[in-house]
Amino acid sequence: MNMRANYQVNATPQFRVLSEDQIEEIYFSALEVLERVGMRIYSEEGVALLRDAGSRVQGDRVWIPSWLVQEALTTVPSRIVIAGRDRNKRVYLEKDKIYFGTGSDCPSLVDPYTDAVRKYTFDDVYNAARISDALPHIDFHMSLGLTSGVLAQTYDRHQFLAMLKGTSKPLVITAVDREGLADQYQMACEVLGGPEEFARLPLFVVYIEPSSPLNHSVEAVEKLLYSAEKGIPMIYTPCTMCGATAPMTMAGGMVQCLAECLVGVVLSQLRRKGAAVIIGGVGSIMDMSTSILSYGAPEMVLLSAAMTDVAKWLRLPMFSTAGCSDSKVLDQQAAIESAVSVVVAALSGANLIHDVGYLESGLLGSFDMLVMSNEVIGLAKRILSGITVTPETLAVDVIERVGPGGQYLTQEHTRRHFRAETWLPTLMDRQMRRGWEASGRKTMADRVRAKVLDILEHHQPMPIPAEVEARLKAIVAEADARHAS
Amino acid sequence: MVRERIFEEMAQAVIDGLPDKARALAHDAIQAGIDPLEAIERGFKAGMDVVGDGFAKGELFIPDLMMSGEAMKAAIAALEPELMKRKQQRQVLGRVVIGTVQGDIHEIGKTLVATMLAASGFEVHDLGVDVSPQRFVDMVRQVDANVVGLSALLTTTLLNQETVILTLKEAGLRDKVKVIVGGVPASPEWAEEIGADGYAENATEAVEVVKRMVGV
Repeated sequence: MNMRANYQVNATPQFRVLSEDQIEEIYFSALEVLERVGMRIYSEEGVALLRDAGSRVQGDRVWIPSWLVQEALTTVPSRIVIAGRDRNKRVYLEKDKIYFGTGSDCPSLVDPYTDAVRKYTFDDVYNAARISDALPHIDFHMSLGLTSGVLAQTYDRHQFLAMLKGTSKPLVITAVDREGLADQYQMACEVLGGPEEFARLPLFVVYIEPSSPLNHSVEAVEKLLYSAEKGIPMIYTPCTMCGATAPMTMAGGMVQCLAECLVGVVLSQLRRKGAAVIIGGVGSIMDMSTSILSYGAPEMVLLSAAMTDVAKWLRLPMFSTAGCSDSKVLDQQAAIESAVSVVVAALSGANLIHDVGYLESGLLGSFDMLVMSNEVIGLAKRILSGITVTPETLAVDVIERVGPGGQYLTQEHTRRHFRAETWLPTLMDRQMRRGWEASGRKTMADRVRAKVLDILEHHQPMPIPAEVEARLKAIVAEADARHAS
Repeated sequence: MVRERIFEEMAQAVIDGLPDKARALAHDAIQAGIDPLEAIERGFKAGMDVVGDGFAKGELFIPDLMMSGEAMKAAIAALEPELMKRKQQRQVLGRVVIGTVQGDIHEIGKTLVATMLAASGFEVHDLGVDVSPQRFVDMVRQVDANVVGLSALLTTTLLNQETVILTLKEAGLRDKVKVIVGGVPASPEWAEEIGADGYAENATEAVEVVKRMVGV
């Protein structure tokens, strides 16, 4: 037998932004911010929990000692599994396992039939979910659009119903407040047949956002504490704008972001040890010409990957960002920003990589961008799968058999490997010019739109039983009635 | 009943792209006294048709097609002596002579076209690479070819496609054979300029053009 010593294999490409020493400095700096600068916690319940655990408190200002953070980090789980209505559609939020999904709550969409920019309706949110449902590289779904035409205090229940109907994949939801979250939790339990099944394998993760810099709203903290009680996994992450709501420097932006996330870790563990928390978030810059939070900046790509390094070092699941753009339409800019962010986020090993489908810096939830980015994710996954090096793949025997001047197309070796070795595109055009001209000279945008329409016209998600849907609608109607006055 | 099973196995051997299996089945058929023409039509070619359909639908890919072509070739080569013995000729869409022109050793495009033509039902005589104009002419005469295919990858060797056409003219064969040209530097305009009868951008298109040339 051929024995070999000290042989190493890279099963995938290797990528990281920060060294362990740099990660540690960022972590210690975040602890320093928590201990010396402190946070503003608008929830009295939250303040009380932190005070009783040993934090220094003055009004709503709380200084959290390092030991309390370290203690919380010993009980917060380093892995979370969630599953959709289809209980086999699961995401394993464990170190370096990557999943892509949409973002939530964009006010507008481009109508795929008229090209008009208009507000999202219930039906549009349902359709967005159907598109995610149909795309093989979208593993979890966020609403993409903000349901208009309903009460602002109950939009979240309507939206959740549309998402549930449109896809059987795992979900990430938003909630107006604790009551909105409680209603959606009840809806999820109806779908799953009870709270035991939700506890066993949660149907959704709730997205909760602290308000940078260093503010934690009463709604955010109440949702956090409710989630901890009920066993709802939570994303507790800010949208830091370097230069505006966080320091201009990338490292400083990360320190603040991490400190804010760690408040979620501490509070959740104080309420219930073992509560599941995902850190990370949208870290980017304020564009200093236009004042927007950029969803296409290389700084966002870099910050997301670096924050993933930190999350993996802390052994916490990571909520990252990619597949989005500042462009207003599905153009070259959108393609560039989607491709670069998707490839880097995939290489980084982040778990829930969200905002796939965002255009216009998160104001436009685009079906086109979602479908195009699905193709980009497929391409990125091929890069991620690396190169297998074995005697069979080194193919010296095949090279010998073919010899100088021969060809490989008629080698069994070629047929045995081409499907696994090559990524087969579904939207990229590789025809020669005459073929392309004969098939209508279609651009990427043309092909993307055709696929969007095909999905909208043909894709049928797994149905919800009529009696379950009736109970879901009743929960939504009760919420509307409570808030109607 | 048993014969039907053999035909199915033949088709499957081609679909699976297994030249050794196809060859063995061809020999078995001869032993069993099966008409070699029937073996081709109802057995091997039936498999090739399945593969062709799969390729057209985008479900199968070039390596599938090539390996099936190899299996088809192996089967026909094994049946050839029996066909001669029985003084039978297999039904073909036409006879094609193909090669890469003199000075050019690029093989792959020409081989792809040759395999696709054979798979589509043509009798293909592949002369290989760096083929002199005289060898093209000799082979066209020898097999009474309907079509000659000229491949070139280099702009410098492209000119030799014209040389072959001129040599065919000198030999008095130009009216008897259609000429199709291909290769990266070739174009419909170039084909017209040198007096070729057709051009194809890729192997799939080449099959269509050659079929048109022989009137099927």
